[in-house]
Amino acid sequence: MHSINLHLKILIAILVSLGLLITGYQIYFLEIPVTEDETDDIWSLDARLEFQAVQGVPVKAQMFIPPLNQDYTSLNESFISNNYGVSIGQVDGNRRVTWSARRANGPQTLYYRLVLTKRYSPDEVEAPPPAPRVPIVLEGPEQVAADALVDPIRQHSADIETFIAEAIRRVNDTTDDNVRLLMGSGDTVLDKARVIDILLSNARIPLELVRTIRLESTPNQEPELWLRSHNGDRWLYFHPETGQQGIPDNRMVWWTGQAPMFNLEGGRQGRVSVTITNSEMNALRLAQMSSDNGTSALLEYSLYGLPLHAQQVYRVMIMIPVGVLVILILRNLIGIQTLGTFTPVLISLAFRETQVGWGIALFTLITALGLSLRSYLEHLKLQMLPRLSIVLTFVVLVIAGISLFSHKLGIERALSVSLFPMVILTMTIERLSINWEERGGGHSFKVALGTIIAATLAHLLMTVPPLAYFVFTFPAILLVLVGFMLAMGRYRGYRLTELMRFKALTKQG
Amino acid sequence: MFFWKTWKTLKANGVMGINRRNADYVLKYNQRHLYPVVDDKILTKERAIAAGIHVPEMYGVIETEKDIDRFEKIVAPYRDFVIKPAQGAGGDGIMVIGDRFEGRYKTVGGKIVTEEEIGHHISSILSGLYSLGGHRDRVLIEYRVKPDPIFKSISYEGVPDIRIIVLMGYPVMAMLRLPTRQSGGKANLHQGAIGVGVDLTTGITLKGTWLNNKISKHPDTTNAVDGVQLPDWDGFMRLATSCFELSGLGYIGVDLVLDQDQGPLILELNARPGLNIQIANDAGLTHRCHAVERRIAELAKDGKVESAEERMAFSQKHFGSPIPAATEELETNEQASS
Repeated sequence: MHSINLHLKILIAILVSLGLLITGYQIYFLEIPVTEDETDDIWSLDARLEFQAVQGVPVKAQMFIPPLNQDYTSLNESFISNNYGVSIGQVDGNRRVTWSARRANGPQTLYYRLVLTKRYSPDEVEAPPPAPRVPIVLEGPEQVAADALVDPIRQHSADIETFIAEAIRRVNDTTDDNVRLLMGSGDTVLDKARVIDILLSNARIPLELVRTIRLESTPNQEPELWLRSHNGDRWLYFHPETGQQGIPDNRMVWWTGQAPMFNLEGGRQGRVSVTITNSEMNALRLAQMSSDNGTSALLEYSLYGLPLHAQQVYRVMIMIPVGVLVILILRNLIGIQTLGTFTPVLISLAFRETQVGWGIALFTLITALGLSLRSYLEHLKLQMLPRLSIVLTFVVLVIAGISLFSHKLGIERALSVSLFPMVILTMTIERLSINWEERGGGHSFKVALGTIIAATLAHLLMTVPPLAYFVFTFPAILLVLVGFMLAMGRYRGYRLTELMRFKALTKQG
Repeated sequence: MFFWKTWKTLKANGVMGINRRNADYVLKYNQRHLYPVVDDKILTKERAIAAGIHVPEMYGVIETEKDIDRFEKIVAPYRDFVIKPAQGAGGDGIMVIGDRFEGRYKTVGGKIVTEEEIGHHISSILSGLYSLGGHRDRVLIEYRVKPDPIFKSISYEGVPDIRIIVLMGYPVMAMLRLPTRQSGGKANLHQGAIGVGVDLTTGITLKGTWLNNKISKHPDTTNAVDGVQLPDWDGFMRLATSCFELSGLGYIGVDLVLDQDQGPLILELNARPGLNIQIANDAGLTHRCHAVERRIAELAKDGKVESAEERMAFSQKHFGSPIPAATEELETNEQASS
């Protein structure tokens, strides 16, 4: 007996931890939302390219677009342009869209839209490290100025990271003559970046210019210039003016390199504006959308991978153990008597079709009518099978009658009774009737009431939407239920009703 | 708070609940493949006869609808008899014919029934109306027990019977079940019969239970139910004890009757005996069962098995009322000292 108990405890522990582990894995690693109405941020990036087409010349507009292998999952990407051909190509590690048209006239507007979300992002693919570089060759005084700058920087730095930080600090010091010489006439960010590039090239440190965009609801955002370098291990990001190190989480790379965002042939006065808007979306739909895109297969092995009609069936079926658990608790812990073991669960399934209120009313009505027929049949002394057949047929007729009657009255709800399981009703009537004869009306009333209470509770619990969603999405939780049921299998305490039953034994004498 | 207090008191008194009975006794000691022996009264009877245990004489068995014609022939030599479903539960479907009347039959309740009605009754038994789970059943026709007149003053119609709970061959608790007007002459507690505790040592009745309450008088005859000495008590105990070998089941309720001519007879065995016997005896089953289990464990250590007589002696020594709590204590002390 002892070994059985140990065995049982181990089994319960295994089942419960397995169920919790699988569920935890789904929640924390696959990031499946825990509730149905959990929402996620969705960013939509709109780039609008406007220009005046030059008459009589073919138009070709090229624009960089963000790479898709970043920290974010792209849900949708679209190019909206009338009368233009669209092609996407890779140029120097950037993605570039080319719009082209044989002829165009007047003002032109081309749209690009990308919808992104942070959740369900695939593992980030790092851009490959750049090739080792050769120093940019400079002339006379410029070379001297560069050398004059590089030497102290080298002295004040320990590695690539600190070297770059120091270089940025120096270049931003506009009082330095060497810097001014290298900068020439301009003092834009781009110029500074160019000077930093020169300095780093002299130290043979790779550098890339990246244009980034901030994911924040803003109209007309200008892509911001950042610098990045590779220390042989990972990419280091720097802001060329402030020297800030590390790119903020909500910035994403749009394109890299010196080239401007777009270039235009056969058009003039080109202007691009980037608008970012933020919206929220149901997390589950999001998951399904992203799996449609093939970027995430997390729902492939869940019940969501089934065809929709099968899903409907499983949504009901997977909740049956929960209903059974209710019956188990009501019977073994509380001690409510019910007709049969699982009849209440079957009845509660029938309530799905009819709603609880109607279900109880119809159940009571049909059972009462059936019982009166059954007690009449009792006088005729019929054998069991014919008697059951008669009751079943009668139940069908009553159901049909109720449906017809309520339809004429305009109560469509009662029509759903047609799916109310007739066999369950028939067996309920038969059992109740036997119970009545053997144990008396009081007892059978108690049993019938217990059955209805159990069925109603089971139904209410089985149809709590968040719970139904949870069990359907994380079916492994049923293993935890099995663990509980196993524990109940060796429960030896009193049932609540037994406390009443044996109350006489608590009095002394 | 009420629940918790009641819970603790019941636990302290060793009252057994359904969950404990099922988990610790029925499931543990009763192997399912042996159930047919007790669920089918005909099988029980055949086993008992083979073992030389006293049971009411079997007049005949009806197995098919066609056999119903044989009914007349079976009962021809007898004026009174009992018709029973072989696998009935809770005394349902039993028809007791007390006499014949002008070519018809008269039940003990005084109702006149025709042979056709009896035929219908047999047919519904055969179709499984009264059997556990609605299976097809057999009909048993047997000797009608004539209750000993000792019960006249504390019983209303019907046949009082004695239920003894036997754990691994050790009787642990006994109860006399007395029919009332409400129970319609049946001796089943849930139908309104009275349960009266019986002292295992002496066979003297204690106070009783009626519909889960404690009582001391029969509601119909208003005579006191306690203090009645049951005749041939050792005979009852011996029969009950021997039922362990007969059935092989470790935890059973044995139902016995006292016939005025034949003495104690076994009526049937029950593999899931009810728990109201505890109210009738005002004592919990758990302590007594634990005492028996300790005894068996002790004997097993020495590699001994007790005979029926020895088991009976053990029970009569330890389970006399009203000292169930003291027994438990005594046993614990013995354990501690040994």
